[in-house]
Amino acid sequence: MNRGHFSTWVLVGFCLYLLLPLYWLFSMAIRDNADIVGGFELIPAHPTLANFAEIFSNPVWYQAFGNSLTYVVINTFVSLLVAIPAAYTFSRFRFLGDRQLFFWLLTNRMAPPAVFLLPFFQLYSAIGLFDTPLAVALAHCLFTVPLSVWILEGFFSAVPRALDEMARLDGHSFGYFFLRIFLPINRGAIGVTLFFCFMFSWVELLLARTLSGSDAKPVVVVMTRTVSASGIDWGVLAAAGVLTVLPGIVVVWFVRKHLVKGFALGRVT
Amino acid sequence: MLELNQVCLLPGASAFDHVFPPGKITVVLGANQSGKTNLCRLIAGLTSSADGNVVLGGIPLTGRPPAGRPVALVYQAFVNYPNLTVAQNIASPLVAAGMNRSDINTQVQLLAQRLRIDDLLDQFPGQLSGGQQQRLAIARALAKNAEVLLLDEPLVNLDFKLREALEWELRDLLTGSNLTVIYTSSDPKDAFNLADQVLVLEAGNKLQSGPPMTVYSHPDSLSVMHLLSDPAVNVLIRDGHVLAVRPEHLSLQPGGRRFNLQVTAVETSGDESFVHGRLQTSSTAQSDGADWVVRLRGMTGLAAGQSVAVYAQPQDMQEFPVGAH
Repeated sequence: MNRGHFSTWVLVGFCLYLLLPLYWLFSMAIRDNADIVGGFELIPAHPTLANFAEIFSNPVWYQAFGNSLTYVVINTFVSLLVAIPAAYTFSRFRFLGDRQLFFWLLTNRMAPPAVFLLPFFQLYSAIGLFDTPLAVALAHCLFTVPLSVWILEGFFSAVPRALDEMARLDGHSFGYFFLRIFLPINRGAIGVTLFFCFMFSWVELLLARTLSGSDAKPVVVVMTRTVSASGIDWGVLAAAGVLTVLPGIVVVWFVRKHLVKGFALGRVT
Repeated sequence: MLELNQVCLLPGASAFDHVFPPGKITVVLGANQSGKTNLCRLIAGLTSSADGNVVLGGIPLTGRPPAGRPVALVYQAFVNYPNLTVAQNIASPLVAAGMNRSDINTQVQLLAQRLRIDDLLDQFPGQLSGGQQQRLAIARALAKNAEVLLLDEPLVNLDFKLREALEWELRDLLTGSNLTVIYTSSDPKDAFNLADQVLVLEAGNKLQSGPPMTVYSHPDSLSVMHLLSDPAVNVLIRDGHVLAVRPEHLSLQPGGRRFNLQVTAVETSGDESFVHGRLQTSSTAQSDGADWVVRLRGMTGLAAGQSVAVYAQPQDMQEFPVGAH
């Protein structure tokens, strides 16, 4: 029992350690600048929502959130749309070069995003895609599609092939089987993949900054540039930070049951 | 009538013809890797390494997709749609056939009652026991209203009591229906419990077919005799012949031909006993030291180390030429 007690405290300590920066971010977000630079306060004495009001009223901020969400949603959608059929194919069919192709997909992950900066920048400028959310979304797809195929293939392979055959024997079309049986069975896997795509695209800074000018500026970029004449606006920056963390928490909440399994099946077999 | 023309079940096996009588249960008996599953997959139109023509009622099925064949299949593993309820699972082939809602409901009720899963209709397959899952798979197969029902070792993953109970239920369910049933198994008991006909396979080759009792009493080869016997047949090689006697045909009562055994072990389950022994030297026998088994009713007073004389009636002994199995 003593041991159990000890490990509980270790766990509690670890959680506090993890939560502390998040709490500090939140407490900064509900204080004004004078308060923040004024002195040490564990619990804010004069909480205010002015920082959040600033974000929701200033177009630079709320458009940045809009831009970020736009390319993240496009990225997630395109990644799943492409990766689901690809993963099904890899899990069900043997064809010439299938293993090589599967491995080749992963090699894209071996290069740091910075390597692709220059070609993307030049290519998008040439075809007029520069400074649009689509540009960032497509660039992120280069990383999220292989990851999605890799994760989904593991889940799809675990579904017995006999189920596909059963549906054919029952007289169902492939479309019916895929949409009404196969995808619902794998909704946990798709949730996990969605989470990984979303997170990658949401926090990625380098490509997002380089491929967007003034129109499609994402929130992470705005955050790095928030220095006004009166110095750094700490409170607004913290409020933006809180709002940036929120979507992640929401997505994790929805896929929390499948997340551990997703990590296990993303392993190298 | 389901016919196989020049069917080759495994690479390297010889092609054979066979006719499955309509409305009858044929038990396909064979060990693992004898081509039983390939046979089912070939008839169902699923990909397999088997090759040949399947003709149903005079119409060749070759090239037709599984959905276009009046064939239903129950797998060895319990295969059901995990995201659909029991009722939706049974309804699956009916939905695919485009039947209207109320007819589907009546049909589902009927089948669920026949398979005794009517109180589980709202549950998901994952919540059912193994036996119930396989009942569901059978109900769904029956729902397709096919002419041919393939059961690929359907009960092998169940514990033996459940297996026997389900087997009797299946027999009642299937006899009297117009279904041509093909039931694959490696257990000779299934052949005697269920079969109107047996087809004995070995390594993809057809060894023998016919009513189970005929195949039992007139086996064409030692392999057939082995496959229809559990435990294995006792063998004595003598003068270029193989003499084979089933364990149940040896008796302690004097009469017929006498064999001397040195008892090595006795297994008993109360109602029957298996006496394992080593065949003792006699002047003409060449296979001294062959391991034999005697199956006796009830308990025996025998113990390991004892010598015992066992007897077989001449009509129970089969002779085959050596090397022809």
